[in-house]
Amino acid sequence: MPRQSKPSTDARDAAPQTGKIRRLHLPQKLRNLELFLLIIACGINLGAVVLVQLGALGRIDTTLVLLGASLSGLVFGMHIVLRFVAREADPFILPIATLLNGTGIAMIYRIDIANEEAGWASAAVRQTVWSGLAIACAIAVILIIRNHRVLFRYTYVAGFVGVLLLLLPLVPGLGREVSGARVWIGFGSFATFQPGEIAKIALAVFFAGYLVRNRDSLSMVGKKFLGMRFPRLRDLGPILVVWALSMSVIIFQRDLGTALLYFGLFLVMLYLATGRLSWVLLGMALFLGGALIASQTLEYVNGRFTNWLDALNPAVYDADGGSYQLVQGLFGLAKGGLIGTGLGQGRPELTPVPQSDYIIASLGEELGLAGIFAILALYLLLVARGFRIGFAGQDDFGKLLGVGLSFVIALQCFIVIGGVTRVIPLTGLTTPFLAAGGSSLVANWIIVALLLRLSDTVRNQPRLVV
Amino acid sequence: MNPSELTLLVLRLAFLLVLWLFIFGIVYALRSDLFGQRVRKMSTDAPAAAAVPFATPPPAPVPAGAFTQPSAASASAPTEQFSRQKAAPLPPAGPEKATTQTATRLVITSGTKAGTEFPLGSEPITIGRSSDSSLVIRDDYTSTHHARLMLWHEDWMVQDLDSTNGTFLDGKRVAVPTSVPLNTTVKIGATSFELRR
Repeated sequence: MPRQSKPSTDARDAAPQTGKIRRLHLPQKLRNLELFLLIIACGINLGAVVLVQLGALGRIDTTLVLLGASLSGLVFGMHIVLRFVAREADPFILPIATLLNGTGIAMIYRIDIANEEAGWASAAVRQTVWSGLAIACAIAVILIIRNHRVLFRYTYVAGFVGVLLLLLPLVPGLGREVSGARVWIGFGSFATFQPGEIAKIALAVFFAGYLVRNRDSLSMVGKKFLGMRFPRLRDLGPILVVWALSMSVIIFQRDLGTALLYFGLFLVMLYLATGRLSWVLLGMALFLGGALIASQTLEYVNGRFTNWLDALNPAVYDADGGSYQLVQGLFGLAKGGLIGTGLGQGRPELTPVPQSDYIIASLGEELGLAGIFAILALYLLLVARGFRIGFAGQDDFGKLLGVGLSFVIALQCFIVIGGVTRVIPLTGLTTPFLAAGGSSLVANWIIVALLLRLSDTVRNQPRLVV
Repeated sequence: MNPSELTLLVLRLAFLLVLWLFIFGIVYALRSDLFGQRVRKMSTDAPAAAAVPFATPPPAPVPAGAFTQPSAASASAPTEQFSRQKAAPLPPAGPEKATTQTATRLVITSGTKAGTEFPLGSEPITIGRSSDSSLVIRDDYTSTHHARLMLWHEDWMVQDLDSTNGTFLDGKRVAVPTSVPLNTTVKIGATSFELRR
């Protein structure tokens, strides 16, 4: 943007005009607020670990406190980087992500204590290391991407990378199958990674860029029917392609949650770009139809539906791959009650995989309804900040990207927590920031970095205050 | 050291309390999002308005006292970038459309900052009371997100974002996105501006 830099003759600046230009020192109010909130968040994280140790061990052990401190150090490092390269970034996103991540580590540590695991076998230690790696990735993204519009240039590259990452687990020799779903890749027996988590960022970038370029034909024409303008048949191409992609994820990777996540993301971004409800109705009808057919023909989908609808039936409960896990999670949540059993004092380890898919049930048991609602409020605030960034943004690509990225977090929370609390059929997805799993952490911290970058660009535009 | 039941109970209640205090702290800090930006105090003395070397007088006596910058974000753009224009000859008004080629600046013609200009690039401009707008107008008549100037291909269009008091293009209230001709007054609250070459 061309700027004229004539000397100002504004009445307020008239006094100190003695030929010398003084640089204004602006206090970084936003960053100071962020620092204040970060200190509290790190304090709460430390408190959670100490409470776990007091509750489960009855003494305070310094090992994980030290590890937790290193995580805090990295987060403060990110804060300092923001002071230099993104001064106007949103001050709430980083503290909220830190608190969620730390709460997750405390809970995973609590389950490690129950399973008597320590050192590298301990999931909490690995989670802490992954968190460090994820925050390092976020810092790198903030440093490398100085303007989100750079991503617009790589729209189709992002789409290609996204689809490639999705297909990676299907490559023989590289893909790994964990509890039925083929969404992992691994090298040898260690270092497993879920490329689909990174794919969701690439796809969000692709959808945003694609829709900004092509939305006119998707929103302008079509027949009016039932008070809504429906698209022409030949404009259905994109939605059918994404639908086919998600259906193939259901069939070949046997992962219902991931498919729902991608399709939901596309649908919401399509709605944002065109403002037409008919797309949402059309998409939901397509997905529900596909899911119903899958539940009739695919055995594993059918099993998920049975577990969901008939969970408390003893036959389903005792069946192999039955609703045992789901019901144990519900028992845990019920045991927690209003204020929970207290950190380190419940029995969350009775549920299978309490540290990843079922971490919400574990947290619900030990922190109770009050704690679960606090965590949901944190997610709500995080997603609301993302929507806000999208709303305040000036360029359409930034708007779509901001809302798309935060909606991914919201939808993922809904799919996982809805599954655990028996609102929808259970599907294996990670709870953002909380659940044990490196790829999910890396992806979500990259989302945090992108949202911070977007918010900085939004506030940094030339501005005139009247 | 083995903590008693009571200690653990107190600690766990305190933990939940601190967790919720953190959340309410964030919500408190976000209150301007929920209730809108604070309205600037209107006082009667008008030193800046008197100093305006501009032919068009403000239609309402809008004073320019008590200029406050409530957030760091609004202070980020140094005022040097927005130079005040001195005695610019008004080009003859015509129905010529404002495009990225023809319009280079946005000039405030009435209000507290009459005469100030703002460079136009090829990016949309948001107007409103919120501090994340590109043109922040803090008076009683402006909505938080009031209007925006956007580009339809090359042409500048003004779109009202459901504001309470409306956006007026050449005296007529803007209902749908309308293209803005050059040198035509767009009025928002007590402030009006034109797009000029």
